[in-house]
Amino acid sequence: MMTGSRPLGLVLLEMAVLVLLGPFVTGGVQKLKARIQCRQGAGILQPYRDLVKLLRKGTVQADTASGFFRLIPVLVLAATVAAGALVPVVRAGPPAFPLGDALMLLGLLALARFLTAVGALDAGGAFGGMGASREMTIATLVEPVMMMVVFSIAVAAGTTELGTLAAHRGTSWILAWRAADFLGFAAMLVLLPAETGRIPVDNPDTHLELTMLHEGMLIEHSGSGLGCMLLASHTRQIVTLGLVSALFFPLGPADGAGAAGFLLGLGAFAAKILLLAIFLALVESSYAKLRLFRVPQYLGIGFVCALTALALSVL
Amino acid sequence: MSAETVQTIIDDLGALMLFTMILVLAAGQITRAIYAVAAQSVLIAIAGATLAMATGNPDLWVIAGVTLTVKATLLPWVLLWVVRRMNVRREVEPVIPVGATLALAVAVVVMAFHLSASLGSLHQAITGNALPVGIALTLLGVLVMATRKTALTQMVGLFASENGIFFTAMAVTQGMPLIIEIGVILDVILAALVMTIMVLRVRSTVDADIADLARLRG
Repeated sequence: MMTGSRPLGLVLLEMAVLVLLGPFVTGGVQKLKARIQCRQGAGILQPYRDLVKLLRKGTVQADTASGFFRLIPVLVLAATVAAGALVPVVRAGPPAFPLGDALMLLGLLALARFLTAVGALDAGGAFGGMGASREMTIATLVEPVMMMVVFSIAVAAGTTELGTLAAHRGTSWILAWRAADFLGFAAMLVLLPAETGRIPVDNPDTHLELTMLHEGMLIEHSGSGLGCMLLASHTRQIVTLGLVSALFFPLGPADGAGAAGFLLGLGAFAAKILLLAIFLALVESSYAKLRLFRVPQYLGIGFVCALTALALSVL
Repeated sequence: MSAETVQTIIDDLGALMLFTMILVLAAGQITRAIYAVAAQSVLIAIAGATLAMATGNPDLWVIAGVTLTVKATLLPWVLLWVVRRMNVRREVEPVIPVGATLALAVAVVVMAFHLSASLGSLHQAITGNALPVGIALTLLGVLVMATRKTALTQMVGLFASENGIFFTAMAVTQGMPLIIEIGVILDVILAALVMTIMVLRVRSTVDADIADLARLRG
């Protein structure tokens, strides 16, 4: 039996926090973006209202879709939420029971992506098929790079378990960064818009454009199914941000117990997520969406950075 | 500052320089590449200042200052002036696709690390990653020069390559004699002036770029 500092209750609580805060991050980024563009923008709670509205509506399904199609949103949501359980939020240190590591997290996110694409193809719509094909093209470029960034940090710590990695990071943030961490962080910053489906790789605001990737795959879903898919993409976003903050930013110490420690950790987590959300909003407002054929070149920067980080930490 | 701290800072600066180098390689617009090289020169100046603080060598302060004024300010300004003068925006024109260049860059970085690991006793004497990073920077600069058609981008590659040599020399020897460094800087300024004049003259007389001169046969 492993002795760890994160009991089951804490892990479940952290997962719940992530799922509940997910739409808030999306709303925050959208609001910030609107203000940067001199618009009033929808309220910061708008994603919650959308979710509530969608979950109350009935479902319409394409005639060509199989029975599996109805299961897709639930499965995607389940995989994403399970990935959320692996992210340390308030406290560093290994979990008290066998849980899973960063590779498991990336695998679950990949599974969610795969299921989304399968659902889009299953419905038989042209938009869905196109969106799925594009999403998978991007995924083949993004996922290996995320793996490499994780590895470049895991090599130094000797483990891929995220809580232990975060504990290894210590509390003296950028001062303790090794050379590889700078490049790894740069690679992550390049990848973040791609992984969260934002400009310059994807455009989250459009529904009927030929440029869309993720939205194209959701177009056949409706009602509560669409609600689940949207909640899954909110959760996916905050899980990715949580992964970055666990890998690169300091986390509360493993022995900080009690309600005060929990609240402190939560506040620190909120601050880190806010920082990354501001970054996303700034990037979204200052760049145009890239042509699809230019995306590999953009992601290539991340790839080279990640590989160099790996070279710096291994060689 | 302890020697270990200095080593960490130099390593970190090296990583950031590699990042700016990757930005130069991936830049689709020449102005971005110029800004990236300017940022790289600022990093080199910071590295010089760090070493100066650590070793107490006053020459290094001078070198850091000269780097900051000449390489981080003056040369980018000249390059940007030429870009404005020639009225070009998207003047990168790679010979091979940028993606392929990035793949080559990966190979170059791995090779540089492998190479410096095989240097044996020299590698033992130098701690940290300054040597492989310096070699990688130099070779990547050459890669930029080799894979771009236009003279301006090749100039950017030359400056980046020169930055790499400068960084290697500074980090490995803890500061070369002032006279050598000043000589190198003067060389760079002279090269920049000559190349600038040549680019503008070629442009104004034959309305062609350097790549077109390959067809020029007697």
